[in-house]
Amino acid sequence: MTKTTRREFIKKSGMTVLSVGLGSQAFWRHVRAASESVLTQAAALSPADRILVVIQMDGGNDGLNTVIPVSGAAASLYRQYRPTLAIPEANVLPIGTDAAGTLVGFHPNLQPLQDLYAQGRVAVIQSVGYPNPNRSHFASQDIWHTADPEGRKRTGWLGDYLDLAFPSAENPLLAVSLAGARLPLTLRAEHVLVPAVGSVANYQFRTQPPGDHQNKMQAFLALNRETASDHVLREQIRLAALDTYESVQMLQSGIQRYTADPAITYNSQNPLARALQQVAQILAANLGTRILYVSIGGFDTHQGQATPHATLLSRLSEAVAVFYTDLVRLGLDDRVLMMTWSEFGRKVVENGNGGTDHGTVGPQFLIGTRVKGGIVGEHPSLRAEDLNPGLGDPKFSARAIDFRSTYATILEKWFLVDSREILGGAFELLDIIRA
Amino acid sequence: MPLDEYDKIAHLLRRAGFTAHPDEVDVAAARGLQATVEDLLNFERFPDVPPDPEILAALDLPQSEFDQMRGNFLDKLTRWWLHAMVTTSRPLQEKMVLFWHGLFATSVAGLEFWQQIYLQNENFRGNFDPDTGQLLRPAPGNPFPVGNFRRMLEYLSKDPAMLYWLDNQFNVKKNSEVGSNENYARELHELFSMGVEDVVAKVPNYTERDIRQASRALTGWRVFPRATGFTFPRVFAFDPMRHDFGPYDHLGKRGGTNADFIFENIVRHRNPGQKQSAVGRFLGYRLFKFFGYEDPEPEVINALADVFDGANGEEPFNIRNMLRTIFTPGNLVSEAFYSERAFRAHVKSPTEYVVSLVRLLTFDRATGRPDGLSSSSNLMRLLRNGMIQMGQQLFAPPDVSGWREGLAWISTTSVLSRFNFANDLLAVPVAQGGIDVTRLIAQMGLQEAMQQRRYGDVVDLLARLLWQIPPSPDAREALITYLQAPSTGVRESDLVNVKIRGLIHLMLAVPDFQLS
Repeated sequence: MTKTTRREFIKKSGMTVLSVGLGSQAFWRHVRAASESVLTQAAALSPADRILVVIQMDGGNDGLNTVIPVSGAAASLYRQYRPTLAIPEANVLPIGTDAAGTLVGFHPNLQPLQDLYAQGRVAVIQSVGYPNPNRSHFASQDIWHTADPEGRKRTGWLGDYLDLAFPSAENPLLAVSLAGARLPLTLRAEHVLVPAVGSVANYQFRTQPPGDHQNKMQAFLALNRETASDHVLREQIRLAALDTYESVQMLQSGIQRYTADPAITYNSQNPLARALQQVAQILAANLGTRILYVSIGGFDTHQGQATPHATLLSRLSEAVAVFYTDLVRLGLDDRVLMMTWSEFGRKVVENGNGGTDHGTVGPQFLIGTRVKGGIVGEHPSLRAEDLNPGLGDPKFSARAIDFRSTYATILEKWFLVDSREILGGAFELLDIIRA
Repeated sequence: MPLDEYDKIAHLLRRAGFTAHPDEVDVAAARGLQATVEDLLNFERFPDVPPDPEILAALDLPQSEFDQMRGNFLDKLTRWWLHAMVTTSRPLQEKMVLFWHGLFATSVAGLEFWQQIYLQNENFRGNFDPDTGQLLRPAPGNPFPVGNFRRMLEYLSKDPAMLYWLDNQFNVKKNSEVGSNENYARELHELFSMGVEDVVAKVPNYTERDIRQASRALTGWRVFPRATGFTFPRVFAFDPMRHDFGPYDHLGKRGGTNADFIFENIVRHRNPGQKQSAVGRFLGYRLFKFFGYEDPEPEVINALADVFDGANGEEPFNIRNMLRTIFTPGNLVSEAFYSERAFRAHVKSPTEYVVSLVRLLTFDRATGRPDGLSSSSNLMRLLRNGMIQMGQQLFAPPDVSGWREGLAWISTTSVLSRFNFANDLLAVPVAQGGIDVTRLIAQMGLQEAMQQRRYGDVVDLLARLLWQIPPSPDAREALITYLQAPSTGVRESDLVNVKIRGLIHLMLAVPDFQLS
């Protein structure tokens, strides 16, 4: 219980305002010696300033209708396999040519994302997946969450990062999930407690009647501030209660520092936009939060996919664009990296119900001012020999990109830590982040 | 300091059941510890909870109709089970059904026919016959919940929900190395019976090849898609055309024509040089962890494994014998169970949290039972929704390895969700599912105590009810301060009611009530 000694001191002496820098010593210990040069280049942005926003596209996004081939064999095969679902070439928003020389473009509803792409703020990582793809939502999501294709780990890759980089974890808001009541496995750690904040407005202690609220909260605090006992479990629960109290206070008072700009409108009908506005509120409060997690569901488009998928892409790009604009206004865009992911792409061949079934690889987006914009990797080959026999989805070929390369790049080049311990091995780094 | 008799009995009632109302502790103390243990163990002496007619009726609906109301079905089913846990006269039975649900974790998230999860719950109670698809109370031959583990493996493997959940219904003869789907064979070894490693010796229990070979023996195990008289697949079917008749190489033995060979090998498997079986140790570990404390000592695990193995001449593989060893004073295992280390050292799961608090707050001292509860009440709805916020949805564990127990239940989210749940429960009017504290106030004489400003007495009485330990001086002081603090906007006539509700809310939200 030595870990709690310092927190004990802080809590007993009534210093409830926590310093964000407390974990930085440990943080620096983990910075790779080899990354000296990287550090020098990145001097303008200290490690403690770097923030990651994870955007989960839940259900298996149809990557082939997100980043669309416009030229070459891929384009003609795409149109052949998707007689009703193919996006007409005239509607595709071209973004450029990939490493294999295929011209690709965005779905027409990604116009706001294309605008960001044109400013060099978006990296499109093509054909992301992992060997021996699992086509179960459940299993494949766990693999992405834990970065463990064996599916045996019980902590998430970012949870592992938090444990490693913040062993004393004084700040109860190091990471915050805004993706429902259940904490995404990505953020589950052995030691660091990450709050799953359904919505910031509801992240409060409810008491009735109102006239008794102060009395109750004072009693609750007093009961949890009791003299430390040698009962280990009781101590852990007591400290979790104090952490919770602090995180609620920090969050509720912090978000008042955010003032909305009438020129920047988060669409209240768009759940992802609502979540990202709360991310902006938390970031504006400057609470030392390093990782935020949001999610948008509905990508499991087995039937009648065209309209719902288009709506989802429109929500995604609209929300990301308004959030980015808000970050620029708040002077935070330089510090924030966004990463999208989905558990798998979908089959090349459309099914008999105007939809598509579970597949393999798909594209990932990295978005932010510090992103090195462009296309990384190749569009999946749709030639018969490159598809899994009988399954109609692209093989995880030598040209595909392992999702752990994206993770490794974020850990090494954004968070400046050694990725090998977290990912259980070394993965090729991608050129997607400007130092 | 060893536990005194009162503490031992309260501890036993909290762990073998869900809670220990002071009146129940008094009754049990008069009966004696030994007799109380036998009452808990031989729960057949007491009436079982009845099935719910609405749930039974839903099983007969055409599938299309059922699918339209399956969310309601799951809600109803959850409320029925929670109600059973609160009101049962067989607390250890309910605790064991919960144990098997956590160990053989099956989720509706992987099921096409959600009705099957109800059959599985009845299977774990001993009330289902997979060979006929019939519900019987009890079903002759069904070994659950405390019988022969060797036979449990058979009833588990034939369970319709399990055959769907882990895909064994698709497992067909392939070749002399492996069946076409090894998913179930893997979990049968890894999660359901022995674990990857021997719990004590820390050596691998089996090889990948053992799993592949076992998968062969489990081929051809299906569920009749349309058995006469049933609206959904619920009858186990063995298809010889899809079955691989062996022989199999499994855990160092060669032979067998069906899965009996595999089950037999599993329950008798010992690693070289080990006195105890791997399964005995695994179950000893899991049972003690569930009822006693995390990380039990190797001697405790081995002593329980000896009971499983029948090393002292008892009937082997018998779960009830293992439970008797844990709870009956006078042996190494029960000494650990009644030790200071075990006392109040269990973090309540959300199920244990809500069941214990509702049982305590609705307990009618006149009848000695919880009163005024119905499975269709709004109160049960509040419980179910609260538990989802706390991270435990019955019939929907996060994956096949079940819920992470112990300290894993404690997070900022769970602190807040438990605090807010307790508030809602006590703030909601009785008509809308809230707790009726009027009777509690009357039966405990709290009205007079409050009027006479005996605040310390009020705190002590409620601490005895809810925590079953005296409050620390600091906690007592903080709670007295709360009772005395003026609240604005509360009518004088409501004040006692408001303050007692507030006091209960606080006492349910602090660490002492999270522990059992």
